[in-house]
Amino acid sequence: MDCGGCWHCGEPLPAADAPHAMIGGTQRAFCCQGCRAAAEWIEHLGLADYYRLRSEPALRPAAGADDNATWLRADLARHVVRELGDGECETILLVEGIRCSACVWLIERALGAVPGVTRVQVNAAAQRARIAWNPARCSLPATLDALARTGYRGLPLDVAALDDSRRRESRDALKRLVVAGFGAMQAMMYASALYLGAFASMDATTRDLFRWLGLLVATPVVFYSARPFFAGAVRSLKARRLGMDVPVALAIALIYLASLVEALRGGGEVYFDSVSMFVFFLLVGRYLEMRARHRAGDLGDALARLMPMFAERVRADGTLERVAASALAPGDLVHVAEGAAMPADGVLESARCRVDEALLSGESAPVAKNPGDALVAGSLVVQGPARLRVREVGAGTVLAGIVALVARAQSERPRLARTGERAAAGFVARVLTLAALTAIGWSFIDPARAFTATLAVLVVSCPCAFALAVPAALTRALAVLARRGVLVVRADAIEALASATHIVFDKTGTLTLPLLALERIDLVRAGSRADALALAAALARGSRHPASRALAEAAGDIQAPTIDELREVAGSGLEGRIGGRDVRLGRADFALGTTAPEYDDAIVLADADGVIAAFHLSERLRADAAAAVAALREAGIEVEIASGDAPAKVAAVAARLGIENWHARQRPADKLARLAALRAQGARVIAVGDGINDAPVLAGADVSIALAAGADLAQASSDIVLRGEHLDAIAQARTIAVETMRILRQNQRWALCYNLCVVPFGALGFVPPWLAAIGMSVSSLVVVLNALRIGRRAERGHRAARFEREAVA
Amino acid sequence: MNILLALIPVSILLLIAAGIAFFWAVDHDQFDDMDTPSLLPLLDNPDKAPQPQQPSQPPDHEP
Repeated sequence: MDCGGCWHCGEPLPAADAPHAMIGGTQRAFCCQGCRAAAEWIEHLGLADYYRLRSEPALRPAAGADDNATWLRADLARHVVRELGDGECETILLVEGIRCSACVWLIERALGAVPGVTRVQVNAAAQRARIAWNPARCSLPATLDALARTGYRGLPLDVAALDDSRRRESRDALKRLVVAGFGAMQAMMYASALYLGAFASMDATTRDLFRWLGLLVATPVVFYSARPFFAGAVRSLKARRLGMDVPVALAIALIYLASLVEALRGGGEVYFDSVSMFVFFLLVGRYLEMRARHRAGDLGDALARLMPMFAERVRADGTLERVAASALAPGDLVHVAEGAAMPADGVLESARCRVDEALLSGESAPVAKNPGDALVAGSLVVQGPARLRVREVGAGTVLAGIVALVARAQSERPRLARTGERAAAGFVARVLTLAALTAIGWSFIDPARAFTATLAVLVVSCPCAFALAVPAALTRALAVLARRGVLVVRADAIEALASATHIVFDKTGTLTLPLLALERIDLVRAGSRADALALAAALARGSRHPASRALAEAAGDIQAPTIDELREVAGSGLEGRIGGRDVRLGRADFALGTTAPEYDDAIVLADADGVIAAFHLSERLRADAAAAVAALREAGIEVEIASGDAPAKVAAVAARLGIENWHARQRPADKLARLAALRAQGARVIAVGDGINDAPVLAGADVSIALAAGADLAQASSDIVLRGEHLDAIAQARTIAVETMRILRQNQRWALCYNLCVVPFGALGFVPPWLAAIGMSVSSLVVVLNALRIGRRAERGHRAARFEREAVA
Repeated sequence: MNILLALIPVSILLLIAAGIAFFWAVDHDQFDDMDTPSLLPLLDNPDKAPQPQQPSQPPDHEP
């Protein structure tokens, strides 16, 4: 784990005076006091094993401590804390920074060591911790502080809104599934005795006994497990449309009732095993789908953290009071301190301030706001403070609107699953018609056999294979992709990814890292490289602009002269006074006061007498960008770059990657037009971007892929999130998507084939019940086993690659 | 064949017991999180269980 960086978070150490501490008996260096404090606390709790166990470096602890003590106020805590009755309270925290299993271990133990905490449960996939404590001995702020000390930030989530509906849905589904599974198993066992009895002779009493046993185990399956189908059917009948549940519910009811009648009158055949299995397979399909949906929902909840929980309301006498953000009303005046987020939408009332609206625009450069300008909830005040006249609160804000949109998109079932189920429902409707025709046909030929033949048609035709074909393949594909850091937010993306012909990359932050590097220096009047860098660093060290950071980094340990009156001019550069002369650093037109074509894309350092030095910065390509582009091209996909940057820079990157098709100076509207043109030619386009400034482009593409480092909102509104920031995962994901679609089609073709072959025999009365049962389960099993083949080949390659990497390390 | 008359009720009782046990497990959080527990068993180290120290005594350096 020791890679020369900070022992706790792995980031580079500062050039001088890195803090040190004794951890696990060894002296370790840290990048900041926050990391050292977290590591010392972990050591103090006796949990230093964390550093041995973890597989990912920790998240750097946030500098500003949250004001957790506010949660002591009952009116605020009410929203997030639930009383469990027996003297316990419970809350759910969204924990930032859970990166690997060691984090789960550490959080459970660190919180468990807080006196009064009775239970801690961490869910790594959902990034949550569920904590129960005894209010007499502990409090919510104490647990939050303990979490913060360990280096994680916890955000209490609204208890009522959060857990219960989803948890109840998943528990219910699981119970129904298992009841159906048990029932199907037992019914099958009793039925096989009957089937054997059909060959060897079985006396009527024993036969009836087994029939009644079948009825006994099938009854809970039909009345408990299959209830969602009946409820769905009733709902859609009430809405006067023939939903997908109607034919399924009808088939279940018909088979069960017919078998019941047969069992009562002691003749013909019973199909209790088939009806249980039928319900079981359909439920398996639904359960798989529900789990995929819930996982996507967990991602959506992460947006909740963008909105602050508290606000400082300005009273009539000018004093401030702290209230819950939910208690604000339109018309209130709110004070927002520098570095805090807006609690509501509104209008700026105080003097000019600068705001980071990255969550909306993706543009990390702060935007200047004048009195009267609109401000949106969730944006950060970078230079303030600001006074905000509230206009919209809670669900009315822009942010809440976007969150709702994202949530709705995520709760929608994937289109593939919907068409799959529609196909299954259409199929069942056709089977019902066919069954009716069979009944009519046989009643003319041989009324005695009409009932059995009709029932055989119903049973032998198996929509289960149809119903399972899509969810089984999709679930498997999502799991395989998630294992390689590709989170598919909308399952539809798989279909589009498989059929993509073009891929359009954004340049900055996607193909290149969001960092710049110093390429060369033109020394005009500076004595040496070190002199030029020392002057530049004096100006640049205080600024967070990427260019400034590149210069400060290049300067390294060089002793910079002292500087007075340092000022940052947004969008232009920096100026200050060094040793009695005014020095400027920035774009040529700012530094020199005139345009200078020869320094068009350089950073110029100048004083009153003219240019001192010019710095040429270059972008750093992502390490795997070239490999990713090559792999995509090999897969037959056209690669393009669409960037808002200057032509020279885009051309340089395109040339390094060997991409012929590039477009520079593209505004979002231009990018969108480009996509529309491509799609008009029949192309299916993947768009890859990192921020929500790419939002129109991402929305206009068939599949949008966001990088995990990008804005939270960009991630939530895109189809796929790349977690590991490995661009080459895109090509792998496409291979898996193609494989998924192939297997999915195989599955559907198989289901169709099976049914076409077998239904006519059922209608003619040639299929005994044991054959129907075998046919039904085999056809479903084939579908599931086939789905499990997805990603097998890729998995093997992946493991081999990892093995190789480890061997090299 | 009379043995069936004893064995079948037994099998049904077992089935019901299994069902009840499963419902109990579902209601007691055993199936809510299917991902995290699989990460943990290799990490558990019973000899090194943390001493429940009083975190009221913070280390010398405050963040």
